[in-house]
Parts: sequence; structure tokens; C-alpha cells
Amino acid sequence: MNRAQKIAWLLVITISLGAVLSCIAFTVGYFMVGMPKALAGLGFMSIAGIGGFGPLIFGKDKGNVTFDERDKQIKRRAALASFGASYLIVGAACMIPFFILGPKASISVTWLPNIFGAAATCTFFTYSVAILVQYGRGGEDGEK
Amino acid sequence: MAKSESPCERGRTITNQVRRLRFENGEMTQEQLADRTDVTRQTIIAIEAGRYSPSLPLAFKIARTFGVPIEKVFQYEGENR
Repeated sequence: MNRAQKIAWLLVITISLGAVLSCIAFTVGYFMVGMPKALAGLGFMSIAGIGGFGPLIFGKDKGNVTFDERDKQIKRRAALASFGASYLIVGAACMIPFFILGPKASISVTWLPNIFGAAATCTFFTYSVAILVQYGRGGEDGEK
Repeated sequence: MAKSESPCERGRTITNQVRRLRFENGEMTQEQLADRTDVTRQTIIAIEAGRYSPSLPLAFKIARTFGVPIEKVFQYEGENR
């Protein structure tokens, strides 16, 4: 498993953990204290921030060559996939309120940083999953 | 010429003899071939398994490492149109 895969695994695990805990905390909070206090449960998403330390945690790969044309191709495809995912998130965040609330409604600008955060999280998650899928989940690098 | 086709290669139009040529060249390891062709060992593994088709420059580098023409290393098995 190379450095990019390790970083991708860390991001997938931290983002997934943050999302699951946030959902649980929000649901529990919703029934116990109601809105808007239940929104505090989404604070668990900050766990995903640990994934940002991946490049510091994992050192350089061993070997003379650590990056080649295949790595470049994989990263380019992953970036394209993550851009597509974030585009969908932002598109959905813009269009869904329009269709639900109608053209004359207004929403609070506090939603904008949330949309930005959701798009960023989605970008990193999709990028990491695309990296792992393309490398073959890291278990197929034995000497044959 | 016996071709070792992995399940991953089925249905692909490009097959290769990298693994066989490695063994015929003094049982060269994947690491040694990777060092000589300036790629990572993972890339050599992916090429051997048929999961990655190298660029032309890399294909020529691999063929040159083994001292054989490129068509002895990589074969195109698609239909001619």
C-alpha cells in the first residue's frame, strides 16, 4: 500500500466515522432536545478533520521511484470524479430549495458555509474512494 | 508461445509477456524491473495482471530492458478494422 492509499484510507475512515456519529447524535438530539439544539450533533463531523493530517502522519514511500505515470493517471481521474461529486452536491443544494420552497422564498445565508463544508467533505471522500478503487484496495501488491 | 492470462486480462485486447520475460531474464524481480524502467513496483504488478496498459514510452522502456522488440512484450488482440 503506497502513501496515497494510506492517506485515502484515513480520509474515508474519518469522514465515515464523523458522518455516522453526526447522524446518531443529530437523531438522538432531535428527539431529546429538538431543533435547533440537535444541530450541535453535526459537530461530530469535525472528526473528519483528522484526515487532513494524513500527509503529515504518513511518510514518503520506500523505493527509488515513488510516483509514476499510473499514479498521475489515477490522481487525475480521482480529481475528476471528486469535482463531479462536488458539482452535484452544490447543484442539488441550489436546486432542491428552489423546487421545495418556491421561487419567491428566501433562505438564511448561514446555509452557505454548510453547503461549502458538505461539498468539501464530499470532494475529499469521493477523491479518496476513487483512489482506493483504482489502486485495487491495496491488497494486490505481492511479489508473483 | 504460452501466454499466462489472468482472470483480469479476459476480455482485454492487450496482453503481455512481462512476467515470463522477467523469469527468462535471470529471474528479475518486479522491484528490479521497476527500478530499471523508472516506475513503482505497483505499476509493474498492475501491468502484469493486465489491470493497466502502459504508455508507449514505458512500453518501449520495458521492451528495451528485456532486449526484445515491443511486440514480443505486448500483443494487441483486438479486431482489425
